[in-house]
Amino acid sequence: MATLQAHNPAPDALRQRDAASGNADPAADDGWSTPHSGRGFFWRSLRRYALLALLAVFFAFPLLFMVIGAFKPDDRVLADGASWKAFVPFGASLDNFADAFSRAEFGRLFLNSVLITTCIVLGGLVVNSLAGYALARMRFRGRKFLLGMVVTLAIIPFQAIAIPLLFMMARIEWLDTYRVQIIPFLANPFFIYLFYSFFLGIPRELEEAARVDGAGPVTIFTRVIVPIARPVYATVAILSFLFSWGELLWPVLVTRGSTVRPLSQGIAVFQTQPPIQWGDIMAFATMTTLPILILFLVFQRAFVQGVSRTGLKG
Amino acid sequence: MPTDALLARPRPNARDGPTRWFGYRRRHTYQPAERTVGWLFSGPAVVLLTLFIVVPFLLALGLSFTNQRLISPLPVRLVGMENYRRIFADPVFQRSLVNNAVFTVVVVPVQTAFALFLAVLVNQKIRFISFFRTAYFAPVVMIMAVAATIWKLLYDPDIGIIDGVLRAVSGGQLSPGWLRSSALALSAVIFMSIWQGAGFQMVVLLAGLQDIDQELYEAAEIDGASRWQKFRYITVPGLRNQLVFVATVTTILSFRLFDQVYVMTRGGPLDATQTMMTRLVDVGFNQQAIARGSAIAVVFFLIVCLVTLVQRLLLREREAD
Amino acid sequence: MRSRTTVCGVFAAACLTLVACGGGSGTSQAAGTVSTCNGKIDGKQTLSAWFHTGQGDERTAFEQAVNAFNARQSEVVVKPTFIPEGNYNEQVKAAAASGSLPDILDFDGPSLYNYAWNGNLQPLDTCLSSQLRADLLPTIIKQGTYNTKLYGVGTAESGLGLYVRKSAFTKAGVRIPTSAADAWTAAEFTDALAKLRAAGFAKPLDLQINQDQNEWYAYGFAPIIESAGADLINRANFEASEGTINSPKAVAALTVMQSWFKNDYVDANTDDAAFTEGRAAISWVGHWKYADYSKKWSDDLAIVPLPNFGTGVRTGEGSWQWGITKHTADADAAWAFISSLFEQTYQKQVAANGAVPASKSLLNTIPQFAPGGPERLYVDQLDSGVALPRPATPAYPTISLAFNKVIATVRSGGNVQTALNEAAKSIDQDIKDNDGYPPKS
Repeated sequence: MATLQAHNPAPDALRQRDAASGNADPAADDGWSTPHSGRGFFWRSLRRYALLALLAVFFAFPLLFMVIGAFKPDDRVLADGASWKAFVPFGASLDNFADAFSRAEFGRLFLNSVLITTCIVLGGLVVNSLAGYALARMRFRGRKFLLGMVVTLAIIPFQAIAIPLLFMMARIEWLDTYRVQIIPFLANPFFIYLFYSFFLGIPRELEEAARVDGAGPVTIFTRVIVPIARPVYATVAILSFLFSWGELLWPVLVTRGSTVRPLSQGIAVFQTQPPIQWGDIMAFATMTTLPILILFLVFQRAFVQGVSRTGLKG
Repeated sequence: MPTDALLARPRPNARDGPTRWFGYRRRHTYQPAERTVGWLFSGPAVVLLTLFIVVPFLLALGLSFTNQRLISPLPVRLVGMENYRRIFADPVFQRSLVNNAVFTVVVVPVQTAFALFLAVLVNQKIRFISFFRTAYFAPVVMIMAVAATIWKLLYDPDIGIIDGVLRAVSGGQLSPGWLRSSALALSAVIFMSIWQGAGFQMVVLLAGLQDIDQELYEAAEIDGASRWQKFRYITVPGLRNQLVFVATVTTILSFRLFDQVYVMTRGGPLDATQTMMTRLVDVGFNQQAIARGSAIAVVFFLIVCLVTLVQRLLLREREAD
Repeated sequence: MRSRTTVCGVFAAACLTLVACGGGSGTSQAAGTVSTCNGKIDGKQTLSAWFHTGQGDERTAFEQAVNAFNARQSEVVVKPTFIPEGNYNEQVKAAAASGSLPDILDFDGPSLYNYAWNGNLQPLDTCLSSQLRADLLPTIIKQGTYNTKLYGVGTAESGLGLYVRKSAFTKAGVRIPTSAADAWTAAEFTDALAKLRAAGFAKPLDLQINQDQNEWYAYGFAPIIESAGADLINRANFEASEGTINSPKAVAALTVMQSWFKNDYVDANTDDAAFTEGRAAISWVGHWKYADYSKKWSDDLAIVPLPNFGTGVRTGEGSWQWGITKHTADADAAWAFISSLFEQTYQKQVAANGAVPASKSLLNTIPQFAPGGPERLYVDQLDSGVALPRPATPAYPTISLAFNKVIATVRSGGNVQTALNEAAKSIDQDIKDNDGYPPKS
């Protein structure tokens, strides 16, 4: 595994860990870092944190508005919206969350979303990584054509094919099912391409060594390639999660009622019954967003590392 | 095959390049089983891509030459290029082309530059940095429909915080109304999109930053390079691959602009935020003119292919310098 | 070489599917001369029904009606699916396009002509008993009829007018009309807005302008151009909008409306509470706000006719209806359920929400609709022909979309004439694209 070490250098991982855990490291890191000493040190770091905090406010204030609104009575969400009061939870209660469960069937929709997303993510990892590996490593007739196809298909937006796809799904009577929300989204040209570029970067010696030991292609893939490729799997998993969690158009076309509907359709319940229950919407939105945010917090390191090792080579 | 030019050509990079190229070139022997295995491995993806993207897209292509309606008892007939003629004569579609172009031309460079700034900022080894990283990334994990719903409120001239603050600091004078103003709506959509997307790009670029050899900076320091010089001559070239990736992906996504517009403005006011995708859904689904909607899909595809191709060629040319 | 073959194969497959799909959606008219109902239910069966989820009470009332129906007989089980109103029409459209409509469908009135023309609905003439037919408001029958056949019946009618706060008008010194005959003229109305502002209402008018993504703009504001002597489409033959929707009268009327926006009289109503919060003194909205508004303002509240833009007051009518789709094998079973909705219990519950009940026999038994009652205006408007149905043409979905965009333009300060010209163009193009929607009555 010496070659592997060379390609996944330990110092990188260490540096990443340091950064993630927030350890101060006196070593210069990039073009902007300055030595952590001298008279202006205090002011410099104050300035630095002020800038960081300002940006944090910029990125986080809509989320704060949402989360705080989730605890407010419906009418206060808008009444407080235009001033500092938007960020103070006046009259806080859990009523909105209760409403989201009882009126928009949050529980059901959430489970649907989890099921659909999990299937897409896991199934997609298998299908797309296999294809990416074949394209990167195997020489077979039609390989170049496939590669061209993958890159070209990445351009086509879903809206462009939604209606013809709806016709097709109706023909095979797949409407109002889980599978109609899963199977069409398993293979993803963009993810195949990410896997492809990662696998290109893995030194062939590893596979050769395994081959000499008598391993077949499946063993090589599962025993040698997949373990090295963990970061790219993490990256694709997160991206694929984000894409399918937020799918907006397709569920409107192919699902009815709440039996197989995903979360993105739930908010419609509150938006279309005037008066619009903004508190409920905020609670629903919060409960839709927080699970992903927590997931990201947990996997943050793997994600950053994953992107770094994906070899996004343009 | 024109798409060939779109393909990434992995470039040897300073550290691990040579090994890779040698590895690539050395083995030229065909393993007989490899053919079959290659198809077996890519088979599931090929079947799925064909069934769920290629076939529907070819269907759309076919439909675009007919007068097919979403629901209609009338017989379908071929109408030649009529749908294409009509979408190009449609002032709203023309407007959507302009909007898409403006959006892309602004968002791609601005968002990329902003993300680069953020990446450099959060690459510092200081306390609490992972908190800031997460905060900057947080908008990425919001479903676009949810984010758009929230921003619609934030932008509201009466009850939104943005105009609330502007009024407070301007003594009630300033309240631009953003999404309700045909002059500002597109800018508001752009701003919100950058807010939502910059975090993702930041992570990609951050990963790249962490791959840059620290010795280069140390050497530069010894040579007395300024901060700007280090940034310009080490950081930016070192991030080249990531920057290209980010710019390419953002370009494609920019053309796809749909969710936030559909939730916030539905293309209004006065078509100020119409995009090719909102027009496609409006025409193809809401107006039930699926044939014309399909023609928009085809035109969209050709345009984005062309843009991506040109972008590729330009970037490759610079690479040759 | 291989790749070429693949491409060809894929394309051929796609073309085949295309043809198949084309055939699928181009089915012939359902039913035809065959009678829908034969008076007997053919054994045990389960039927699906879609219901748009409006207000909470409406949903509860419907659930109760379904449960009652399922409990009292053993042959037919109705399984309801509740779909949020926001994307209900999209869902029906997607289902119709993909042949997956339920047995029993709830739909907004003016969509009927399009659904019927598409062959998605079965005529109900053989289902409806003569007593029920005689008891229903004439406007219900009229709205449900396309090409001489009845395709849908509603359990309620709608009513549109202005909710006003009497105290505000007294303070501003503006008279309050009592019937369509003495309605405000447009000029008078605009003047009233100015006076109300002077009386302390900065934005006195609520047009429910936040309801911009549904049928409201067409339902609520088409009466403006109709009252001016224009219309959405020439109703003589439903063949053209050009010259009607964009006539000078329509332009003039909508220019008046635009002046309300330009003078900033209109509350944006983002919080959906302009009227209940007391910011607006006038709320231009339908019966569905009656419960809320009367609870808030009780005796200070009055319902008055819309302004007269030149040729007499016009107002909207028509509401959600029930139909039987072509997918239903046994229409008698479906009808058994629909007719159960016309029993007093359900209608009364719907009326409690402010809607005008569809049965004439019920009207006078509910105090708010009886002569002198607060909602009596709605009944009078229906009786006197002040209420105008939306155009009975399969082109209506296009008309509604086009007019929605016109109102959005009026609101945003765009050119009224240009907007109306574009609407005329897109409506007429749609009619042409559908070969004039044959056959016509």
